[in-house]
Amino acid sequence: MSAFDAGALTGDLTVTLDADVLVGAYPDRDGPPGTPESVLGVLGAHRVRAGAVASLRAALFDMVSGNDEVLALSRASDAVVPIGAVDLRDPLGSAAELERLAAAGVRGVRLFPDEQGAEADFPSVRHVARRAAALGLTVLTGGDVRRFWRPFTGLGGSVVFLDTHFYHLGDFLVAAADEPGFHTSTRLLNSPDAVETAAARIGAERLLFGSRTPHAETVVPLLRLATSGLEPAEIEAVAGGNARRLLT
Amino acid sequence: MIIDVHAHWGPWFFTMDVARANLATMDRYGIDLAIVSATEAVIYDAPAGNRALAAALEGQDRLYGYVTVNPRRLEEAERDLREYLPTGRFVGVKIHTDYTGSPVTSPQMREALELVASFGRPALVHTWGRTVLDLAETCLAVPGLRAIAGHMGADGHRHAIEAARACDRLYLEPCWSHAPAGRFAEVAAAVDDRRLLFGTDATLIDPASAFGAVAAAGLTGETAERVAWRNAAELFDLDLTTT
Repeated sequence: MSAFDAGALTGDLTVTLDADVLVGAYPDRDGPPGTPESVLGVLGAHRVRAGAVASLRAALFDMVSGNDEVLALSRASDAVVPIGAVDLRDPLGSAAELERLAAAGVRGVRLFPDEQGAEADFPSVRHVARRAAALGLTVLTGGDVRRFWRPFTGLGGSVVFLDTHFYHLGDFLVAAADEPGFHTSTRLLNSPDAVETAAARIGAERLLFGSRTPHAETVVPLLRLATSGLEPAEIEAVAGGNARRLLT
Repeated sequence: MIIDVHAHWGPWFFTMDVARANLATMDRYGIDLAIVSATEAVIYDAPAGNRALAAALEGQDRLYGYVTVNPRRLEEAERDLREYLPTGRFVGVKIHTDYTGSPVTSPQMREALELVASFGRPALVHTWGRTVLDLAETCLAVPGLRAIAGHMGADGHRHAIEAARACDRLYLEPCWSHAPAGRFAEVAAAVDDRRLLFGTDATLIDPASAFGAVAAAGLTGETAERVAWRNAAELFDLDLTTT
């Protein structure tokens, strides 16, 4: 047995819903292919029972066909919670797609500002934020939380910041103190005390396990959560309870 | 047995409180020994940080020290190297390129690395992107220098592969707060396993990131052992009989 036995540390930790999963491939990267079968295989191998899955096809090329792909996956597998994706390069089309997704029963929509070259102060971001809040959709957004907190303020909606880095934890926490709908993924809260600090400040109910499978190592946020100082009930909430409340 | 060759001791300026978290953090991941640099020395004042670390290491059997060198203050650096390396508690040298405004290609960095080589101890140097190639070039140019590419170039891990192949005195360690899938596996498959080390950047970064990245690579047998501790023990000439 290698000294690097992650299973011995993660034990029986089971994630009931991972908030950050993608299908499809980045054409500017060598891999991974991101086929639904391979993605679900990686999740299963890490005791992640379900993923909030968004489509890179929708994010990078065509919203409607990409989102339809995810809706079809969710109908075929209990392991897929569908997350719509919209394109910040097309705010009018995005607004229409939000309507369609909400009518289809989707509860979460994901923004890809880095991939789409959108900055936090672009009118399209605020427009999509308003429309999503009005429809009761939870927004999962990438981007630097120090900038992307602003277009979501004062709307009363639920937002999950997927790229909150522990370097920027203080900024997130002071923003979240004024915005009860602000949540964060734990993916990059990987300093020795960021998860614990966030839970103490704003409550574990505002933390969601996110792995970015298959593009990042699924085991890393698993290890961080398994070895955290959170109470068992808090770990259970972070490992999927909170995501289910917001996205299903 | 696991040895962490890239760790820190002391407080950070971010929203975090980890100044006394070294041993507890190591224990969570079964890390037996760590080689630490003082955050004060890395970020602001090398002599003051080295001095504080020397005091902290007294009576400590799981932490070894790096003497931190600011390439812009080589007289101070030489004084610290002469004072701390003979104690046996300091086993290498840490140099950060960004905090000291000293790129790997800068004249002062070259001079600093020549100084380190003259003391016969390994140097852990911060690398990012293509700068790992610059470190390999400097390593080749400085006789006897043994250098660890901190972060193995972070997003430049493919450059790190090229760098390690170019210089057999260059070592790689993987710590980074991001964990792109397959990054360490790709490096481990392409680089001589005698040149791979384990580093975490704790207590800045939780060991989950590097531990998970290495675990995901599925190393076995001798390679896993080399990464976990054997290469580090040989490179730093550590006496493990008491651990």
